[in-house]
Amino acid sequence: MVTKTSADVVIVGTGVVGVVIAEQLLDAGHSVLMIEAGPRVSRAEVVENWRNAPLGVKGDTSVAYPSRPWAPHPMGNEKGDEAYLQLSGPDSYAQTFIRYAGGSTWHWAGTSWRLTPEDMRLKSLYGVGRDWAFDYDTLEPYYVRTENKLGICGPSDPALQWPRVARSAPYPMPHLPFSPGEERFTEIARTLGYNNIPVAQARNSGMPYDGRPACCANNNCVPVCPVAAKYDAETALHRLEKKGATILVDSVVYKVETNAQNKIEAVHFYDQHKETHRIDGKLFVLACNGLENPKLLLMSKDDRNPNGVANSSDQVGRNMMDHPQLTLTVTTKEPFWSGIGPVVNSGIMETSQGSFRSEHAGAYFRYNNFARNRFVTFAALKKGLVGKALDEEIRRMTACTADIVAAHEVLPDPNNRLTLSDKTDWLGLPKPHIHYDVGEYTRKSAEVYSLPIGKRIAEAMGATDVKISPKFNQSKHIMGGTIMGNDASNSVVDADCRAHDHENLFIPGGGAMASTACGNSTITMVALAIKAGDAIVDQMRGA
Amino acid sequence: MTRQSKDPNGTLMMSRRGILLGGATLFAGSIAASLCPTLSLAAVDAGMQGQFMKLSNLLIQHQLSPAVGARIAEGATAQYKNLPQMLEAIITIAEKNKATQVEDFFADIPEGELKDFALWVIAAWYSGSSSDKRDATVFTYEEALTFKTTSDILTIPSYGISGPNLWTRPNLPLSAPMPTF
Ligand SMILES: Cc1cc2nc3c(=O)[nH]c(=O)nc-3n(C[C@H](O)[C@H](O)[C@H](O)COP(=O)(O)OP(=O)(O)OC[C@H]3O[C@@H](n4cnc5c(N)ncnc54)[C@H](O)[C@@H]3O)c2cc1C
Ligand code: SF4
Repeated sequence: MVTKTSADVVIVGTGVVGVVIAEQLLDAGHSVLMIEAGPRVSRAEVVENWRNAPLGVKGDTSVAYPSRPWAPHPMGNEKGDEAYLQLSGPDSYAQTFIRYAGGSTWHWAGTSWRLTPEDMRLKSLYGVGRDWAFDYDTLEPYYVRTENKLGICGPSDPALQWPRVARSAPYPMPHLPFSPGEERFTEIARTLGYNNIPVAQARNSGMPYDGRPACCANNNCVPVCPVAAKYDAETALHRLEKKGATILVDSVVYKVETNAQNKIEAVHFYDQHKETHRIDGKLFVLACNGLENPKLLLMSKDDRNPNGVANSSDQVGRNMMDHPQLTLTVTTKEPFWSGIGPVVNSGIMETSQGSFRSEHAGAYFRYNNFARNRFVTFAALKKGLVGKALDEEIRRMTACTADIVAAHEVLPDPNNRLTLSDKTDWLGLPKPHIHYDVGEYTRKSAEVYSLPIGKRIAEAMGATDVKISPKFNQSKHIMGGTIMGNDASNSVVDADCRAHDHENLFIPGGGAMASTACGNSTITMVALAIKAGDAIVDQMRGA
Repeated sequence: MTRQSKDPNGTLMMSRRGILLGGATLFAGSIAASLCPTLSLAAVDAGMQGQFMKLSNLLIQHQLSPAVGARIAEGATAQYKNLPQMLEAIITIAEKNKATQVEDFFADIPEGELKDFALWVIAAWYSGSSSDKRDATVFTYEEALTFKTTSDILTIPSYGISGPNLWTRPNLPLSAPMPTF
């Protein structure tokens, strides 16, 4: 084992949460060391991996990112004991994320919905879930900073913005135009009284931004934007290094070490040769995502912290949340031609709000805009058609099928819990085990609310066939496992994402979120990270 | 101490071949044929290659790339032990019918092994893969014929065809002419 004093601040993980904080600290004059479990690869390699993948698995978002033995992440083909995520419960918490330098924004869609003021007060307004430790007005300036940092484009017309409350600053770029199919979907939604509005998205709209080019409709945002017009955290790594950050890759942190004052003294990691290393520092940030952070804290238990680091409340790994989604695959007579422009470009958000939230979850609806050749070609071929009939069938199915997705909120439930499995990975570290049940609140929404709306939309589209996913799928928005609150007895971090138990440990990101709402939540994770970054700068200054 | 990160876009940028082979490791060697067409050509003799393209041109009335054909032929050689006989049998049926297009003779191919093989050849050209499974051999991505049927309106994902915010032109009706390919 090698010990070395490293930097003022040690950040574990180089995903969007880690890199945003790193840049804040570097800009404030602090030295930063980042420790990253996975490899650092070039965009060209990822694009080439994806192009070389068989057509039948191109829908698998991990296929371009084979996991390294020392830094496993969920891969689409794993089953049973082999799988990295060990799962139980009535619903499956089958998440996707990647352990590569740059993290999971490599293959995110970039959809960036803010929370509403109501989303943060579920307990007071509707008597369910938890209230946040602060209100929307407190978070709003951090949203603005996030939108500017990531380059999130969005509408300037307040009627098209979400949420429908005044913004303190405009989006840094105008919203992206709708494709013809999205225009049509919007018209149809309007006939039912719903507004399909431009999504705020981390994609450069009509202009370069932050050294990255304008989006030019490669329709490949998931699993990788070939030109980096979509923000991903990999694009920030070079800049961080220029500003003085040190980034260690292929380095898997497996223990957070505490000292006699119960402050964090060091972290320990394995390199890819199974050698162990120890890095000490003044202040530590865990930015490994909402699933790996609780796992690491539980793995780090010691005599002073017998339930795991930061876990005197016993809430670490509990309240695991996501946006359970159901997809309606519709066949229409009219061609919608999904696949023109970026992969997600609009959404109906108003269906996420209402007094019904005392009874059941809300839902957000989106028209998925992936080019559909990869989904329909084999189905057309299996019909045994040849010649002109085959060409016409592929063209028809590509034009006239579409996915409408209903994404729901879930409530924090302590029984939805991540624990350490007795199954181990290549390094001998325990795999995460997650027990999950979306709960009655969400199931009821599907029964009485979201699916009925979805079916009405399908009908208005002139659907001749509608297939509904038989079970809830994951949205890959990992939340809740290190939940935030003002009461240290039932939460893990405070309003600045500082661990209640350890004054020099910050755990920002999705784990801290006290409610999910329905919209994709990375923008909120990053807003929390920037808030934590400010608190860290103050703390380092001795303020 | 530990190794520092290496900037993959800087001096350590992989060569294109390295990138391709990096991709190949993903699919356990099954993709090798698609990476090196010249090797594929060597692996299948020229006569067989010619027969395979002849059959392909009877089954599909579009311009077919010989390089992609070479990769599919190699895949067929590995998968079908009696490939020469099957090629011969189907070509004979087509010739008997004086076929100029697949519709002229397809119905005469007997159900079973021969018909299944003919459908496999068509599927390989349209999907660019040997099957819809994860372990499929990839013959091509961007030249898969599925994308040609929609090339007048849809991007082949990752190969953008419009420009910044330029995707608002009107949708095409289904009756629009099939692209020529
Ligand atoms: C297919 C897909 C589409 C998505 N689309 C959207 C979307 O449209 N909008 C949206 O809001 N969200 C989306 N998401 C979710 C989004 O990607 C995540 O919310 C976001 O990446 C979380 O950022 P993070 O920095 O917390 O974690 P990550 O991006 O996961 O980064 C964590 C980093 O920590 C590293 N790490 C993990 N464990 C260790 C360890 N033990 N030691 C050292 N390093 C470690 C990882 O390798 C990784 O680099 C999507 C996700 C997926 C999979
Ligand atoms: S549509 Fe294309 S250019 Fe735009 S973000 Fe997606 S992949 Fe990148």
